[in-house]
Amino acid sequence: MHMPVIKSVIRLNDLDIHFVDEVIKTGSEVFGEDVPKTIMACMQCGRCSGSCPSGRRTAFRTRTIFREVMIGFREKVLSSDELWYCTTCYTCQERCPRGVKTTEIIRILRNIAAKEGYMAKSHKMAAGYVFKTGHAVAINEEIQNVREELGLSRLPPTTHSHPEALAKLQDILRRTHFDELVGFDWETMELKEV
Amino acid sequence: MNIGVYVCHCGTNIAGVIDVEKVTEYAATLDGVVVARNYKYMCSDPGKELIRNDIKEKNLDRVVVAACSPTMHEKTYRDVMEEMGGNPFLFEMANIREQDSWVHTDKDEATEKAYDLVRMAVAKVRKNEPLERIEIPVTQRALVIGGGVAGMEASLDLAEQGYEVILVEKEQSIGGHMSQLTKTFPTLDCPMCILAPKMALHEHKNITIYSFSEIEEVSGYVGNFEVSIRKKAKSVIEDLCNGCGLCQEKCPTKVLSVYDGNLGMRKAIYTLFPQAVPRIPVLDRENCLMFTKGKCGVCKKVCPTDAIDYEQQDEIVTEKVGAIIVATGYAEYDPSEIAEYGYGRYKNVLTGLQFERLTNASGPTLGALKRPSDGATPKRFAFIQCVGSRDVNTHEYCSKVCCMYTVKNARLLRDEHPESEVYVFYTDVRSAGKGYEEFYKISQEKGVKFVRGRASEIVGLPDDNLLVRTEDTFTGNVIEAEVDMVILACALLPTEDSAKLRDILKISEGTDGFFLEAHPKLRPVDTLTDGVYIAGCAQGPRDIADTVVHAKGAASGASVLISHTKMSLDPISAYSDESVCRGCGECKLVCQFGAIEIEPLDGRLIANVNEVLCKGCGACVGACCNGAMTIKHFKDEQINSMIEAAMEVA
Repeated sequence: MHMPVIKSVIRLNDLDIHFVDEVIKTGSEVFGEDVPKTIMACMQCGRCSGSCPSGRRTAFRTRTIFREVMIGFREKVLSSDELWYCTTCYTCQERCPRGVKTTEIIRILRNIAAKEGYMAKSHKMAAGYVFKTGHAVAINEEIQNVREELGLSRLPPTTHSHPEALAKLQDILRRTHFDELVGFDWETMELKEV
Repeated sequence: MNIGVYVCHCGTNIAGVIDVEKVTEYAATLDGVVVARNYKYMCSDPGKELIRNDIKEKNLDRVVVAACSPTMHEKTYRDVMEEMGGNPFLFEMANIREQDSWVHTDKDEATEKAYDLVRMAVAKVRKNEPLERIEIPVTQRALVIGGGVAGMEASLDLAEQGYEVILVEKEQSIGGHMSQLTKTFPTLDCPMCILAPKMALHEHKNITIYSFSEIEEVSGYVGNFEVSIRKKAKSVIEDLCNGCGLCQEKCPTKVLSVYDGNLGMRKAIYTLFPQAVPRIPVLDRENCLMFTKGKCGVCKKVCPTDAIDYEQQDEIVTEKVGAIIVATGYAEYDPSEIAEYGYGRYKNVLTGLQFERLTNASGPTLGALKRPSDGATPKRFAFIQCVGSRDVNTHEYCSKVCCMYTVKNARLLRDEHPESEVYVFYTDVRSAGKGYEEFYKISQEKGVKFVRGRASEIVGLPDDNLLVRTEDTFTGNVIEAEVDMVILACALLPTEDSAKLRDILKISEGTDGFFLEAHPKLRPVDTLTDGVYIAGCAQGPRDIADTVVHAKGAASGASVLISHTKMSLDPISAYSDESVCRGCGECKLVCQFGAIEIEPLDGRLIANVNEVLCKGCGACVGACCNGAMTIKHFKDEQINSMIEAAMEVA
């Protein structure tokens, strides 16, 4: 026997109608106000979702997220796994007929989500590599060969060539409390819980 | 000098912010003011009656009204002055609404500012001089530029009123875009059938058509324009040609037909369509073998009336008219810049106008539904809406007609080919108009599938089929539809040569590039150049029904002007002091109305202002290096009196 799916009526008054203002305010710190406030012009046409290479494979729906932000589904948006499925390819932002800076706004939402403790596991893991190597994606043999073929030094002028700079980077990560944000354990040099 | 000051409340528009009682009391203290009053609505009959009574009883010779912008009501009060036997230019308005109560919230400061504005207006009115309006003759003929449905309608309305009309059309036939269409919403009547009675206008005794012609130059002014028209060489002697069509039948050269959306061929000597008016063909010199290779001559050989003239030259004709109606229509957006739709790359992606030609009985396939890539009969169709419209990356405005013409085409497909699958990918369906929503509903009932999602991209498949991808925003699913043909509902744009015409006529265009009306609501067919009117899509996208209404409005506007033999103009114009002017010509350079000529006088040069052309903008006054230029009603001492008053403290 199938149980009926219960969907209750949502009272708009119970939602956080100021969430979109929070998004714009938070986003302004990084991008300036002109970028995040473009969300106000979204007309829900769906061109973003239809253009999304991730959305063709996952439940990520750019348009739906913008709608939920506009109407105030704060917790739902910030805690959603889908928020982290965007590959930041910028196709939707290129095509948006209302000039909404879609990809930037997804990044802003992630910033807010991370502060609330909702960072996707894969992103935390990538951050862990930054702590350990100074790179989210550390160099490998293959890339080193390509660099050599192109007439570059085998290692780029980063922490790869300057291991002594890693300590300085780690100091920055500590002082900006990035370690707390991703839950990095300096003792084990691993994430606290993965 | 007896000055009356009248402070308007404008309901709460002014009185809600400004203390009108205080302003009135203050005005009464100013030099020369014998009466100051306030009233709820000065522009109402009782309000005007207050002024009339005071003019009579207190012998007012000058009046100040502190109210709204002079563009709103200056004329109202000038008329009161005139009616009471006074001079309408011994009047000033203090704008305490747009420049004060509407833009300030602090009541005390706004009231202080009203003191200043009233004091300045009183200072100015004291210095005002009586002026007489200029009377000019009016040529009772009209020029209509563009022979589409708008131009035809306007021409007919004027001609039927008894005015001579000169109709100039750049193509070889009148008819415009409407002649290209298959059927029209919401009645599904045949455009050529309903257009034909109007195209018969070439037989009207009051209408002269110049086809294959363009406006070269316009000089003169309202009521008195002189227009140079370039009649481009058709290589066909119009008086001899009987329109038999033998030349185009026998011509060996085939060229892609722009009229048919490049989907079919035409000859090098051709008419646009079977019902063309005039029926005279035009020889396309870029493709005719006589011009490219220097040999052929078939058309000349077969012509029974010897009407072919390879040597024919362009001809410039001049016409005098009192009014000009611009009805130049629109151009269809070229969607190839939206790369993800693949127009130009995928043969089976068409524009809306191309689809009209493809389904038209006199189109390239004689109405048979065949797709361009392989001539196969398409069965699955996708219509994509808002291509180049409602898009900040291309054109922000809504093109207004695309929803309905797509609904029309989609419904026709379901009607005539019941086995077809028809999808419409849309952002919103805008079906406002008489019978339009009902028409939309019928199309749904007939099985057109409306998908609420702006098409994201079109993927070309190896068999020339197309995959349209978007989100169905109602269910939240990313969806794909494989179809045989895609039709893009392309934006309506200003015509390619509209900027040239704008400069010739000295009219303005809006940010969207369409010609700008004098007021969006109250003067929708006028331009800011007196005597020049706009009709139809030249002013902005609109459908046939609205175009006809607009054209009738423009014809009415023009006939209000040319129904008089004389008219009077505002006397506020510039003049040059001959004793000071040294004829340097700086004023002529800055005058955008062509009102200034540098002319010889007693062996030297001086600037001479045509007071009819002059708009009183003051650019020449600023440019004049030795103070020879003055504008009536805005003389230095008049402006200075206001500045001095502004510096005083209440």
